[in-house]
Amino acid sequence: MATGKPTVTDRSYKFDFVGKGKIWFIVSTVIILAGTVMFFVRGFNYGIDFLGGNLLEVKFKQEISVTELRKVMEETGYGKAILQSTASDQYIIRTVPITTQEKTRIIDSLDKKIGIIKPLVQDRNVAAGFSKQIIKYTLIAVAISIAGILIYVWIRFEVRFALVAIFEMLHDLFIVLSFYTITYREFNTTSIAVILTILGYSLNDGIVIFDRIREEIRINKKEKFSDLVNYSVNKTLARTLTTGTMTLFPIIVILIIGNETLKDFAVGLLIGIISGSYSSIFIGSPLIVAWNNRFQKYKK
Amino acid sequence: MKQNRLNLIVLGIFIIVIGLSIWSILVNPIKLGLDLEGGTQVILKATQLQAADTGTSGTEQNSGSISSAAIDKAMLIMLNRIDKLGISEPLVTKDYSNNIVIQLPGVDEPDKAVELIGKTAQLEFKIVKGIDENGEYELGPALITGDKLSNASAGYDSNGQVVVQFSFNSEGAAEFEKITSENIGNPLAIVLDGEVKSAPVIRSVISGSGVIENIGSLEEAKDIALVLQTGALPVNLEIQEVRTIGPTLGQDSLQQSILAGIIGLILIAIFMVAAYRGLGLVSLLGLASYIALFWGILSILKTPLTLSGIAGIILTIGVAVDANVLIFARIKEEMAKGKSKLASFREGFKNALKAIIDSNVTTLITAAALYRFGTGPIRGFAVTLAMGVIISMFTAIILVRSILFLMINSKIMTPKFIGVKIPKTQIPKTQKEH
Repeated sequence: MATGKPTVTDRSYKFDFVGKGKIWFIVSTVIILAGTVMFFVRGFNYGIDFLGGNLLEVKFKQEISVTELRKVMEETGYGKAILQSTASDQYIIRTVPITTQEKTRIIDSLDKKIGIIKPLVQDRNVAAGFSKQIIKYTLIAVAISIAGILIYVWIRFEVRFALVAIFEMLHDLFIVLSFYTITYREFNTTSIAVILTILGYSLNDGIVIFDRIREEIRINKKEKFSDLVNYSVNKTLARTLTTGTMTLFPIIVILIIGNETLKDFAVGLLIGIISGSYSSIFIGSPLIVAWNNRFQKYKK
Repeated sequence: MKQNRLNLIVLGIFIIVIGLSIWSILVNPIKLGLDLEGGTQVILKATQLQAADTGTSGTEQNSGSISSAAIDKAMLIMLNRIDKLGISEPLVTKDYSNNIVIQLPGVDEPDKAVELIGKTAQLEFKIVKGIDENGEYELGPALITGDKLSNASAGYDSNGQVVVQFSFNSEGAAEFEKITSENIGNPLAIVLDGEVKSAPVIRSVISGSGVIENIGSLEEAKDIALVLQTGALPVNLEIQEVRTIGPTLGQDSLQQSILAGIIGLILIAIFMVAAYRGLGLVSLLGLASYIALFWGILSILKTPLTLSGIAGIILTIGVAVDANVLIFARIKEEMAKGKSKLASFREGFKNALKAIIDSNVTTLITAAALYRFGTGPIRGFAVTLAMGVIISMFTAIILVRSILFLMINSKIMTPKFIGVKIPKTQIPKTQKEH
């Protein structure tokens, strides 16, 4: 921007985010619609946190194929167990809720027939109704943070910013939920943690852009609102991209080197952070202009 | 140079606090959560005890509402049992909805320990009124319960059978004497958690002690003795979740996330210096202080670090540098307008501050909601997220500001250091400030 004579009133911008708003609304709508369709067709791939059940992760003394392990599980009477390989000699075995005695029987049988390394890698047993509480309190947490943010942004900015902020948050929430239904990735308590994390983080970029718009409105009252918004998004673009990229660095490293537990967390965060930056730039700014054009009070 | 003195004081305070923080890290190592250290976590839901002890309140169904005093008492009793089992460093806490969460690092037989810790162990003595058509005992009300015991131990009776011997405390002994004297010739049922263990006929007045018969093994007798010693739980407990993380999985997760954090930090450092040159270098000082303070506070608070806590830390690294990115972008913008170094720095910090505060407050609002209504791991995340946001405000804004303002008149603070290209005509302007 450092051309010969930079002036305060120079409000030229490079990218027209507001004008292209419709395209991005369509993109988001398609993703969320696909997610919703998949939700009704197939639903979430709930983990044992939600369905109740038992999960054993076992490291065997030797490498073993899924078919071989399946055979052993059938012989033990748990042919329907879900088997997932986490290494060539390591498996996650998911069954319905079982008693301690039944679990001991499975472990003994695996030990006798294949040989396992003790202690187990992990072992979880969840009662069937447990998730009801998690869902209830998650919904409360989501509702309270949305209400809190609505009030805060309303006080610090204006009601139109507050409503757009909430829209952005919900957008990111639904994008992440759609990610889980479309990819059929396991939906468990980690996913809930990811969703809540996104809730806390997704608005950062949006607020920075709002702050710039707020400032520009004050400095220049005559300018067309859509130009002010475009200018503000462009001015903050370098920051949005820089911060977004840096936040993603450790997450991408985890995706490359992490174990399944860590990856589970990182994948959701990756989607959520990208969606957070995307919605702040491409969804929030056209939306606030659209809101302005709709209500006479703000028209310029 | 009043300004400089203030900045030096700020810098001095930071150096002292960071020193203390590093000292604390060395003295108190970070406590690890179960998902990183390995161990067993149990979530128990408390439900009302069956109203059997009064015998008259069969219709009373107080489901759901359990007093928090009862839960606190149950937690204390369980802690006592864990202690007697010889498990070190247990953690018994209550969560958002009055579930009891027990964490046991490194137990050999988690299932057995869990069963024992959560056993109600309600010992009752009831007069047998008769036997119904199914062969079940018809029992009178509980005349005396296990909370008046003074001791219990496993042993053998004269026939070589495994028994649990118990003795009453003085109050219990007096009561038991009265009960037995009034019921000579009647069978007295000894009921443990609703199961009639034996129903011997009272032949004479008994006061101080007695035995529980029909116990499978000496091991079982020892377990019963242990739970009787610690007292009955005032509530019934249903196991909601038992989770055992083996030591290798926890170690893997910890090492990988630390490695990811380090590699991520290195990448961030390269990126910051590439984008903001000297300013980027100064912000790295802020980031290093941020990590030292964060780690230090974690070690002082003794909150166990969990996997989701690490997720929070990793996310806040982004938040911490973000403040500097915002500030530096604003400084460069001001300088591009042709303002002096000092004015640009002042304006840059001032203009960025609002955005930083507003975005951080929205994050804090969510963290507070997560802390209040989140489950265990989510709470851990909320704590680290909030800590990170608050600490980063100090390091990225106050500390970095002091360092930059102290440096502002030195020779190294060139446009190249700041990373801006200033048109040649404007250079004299930037040297005029003081």
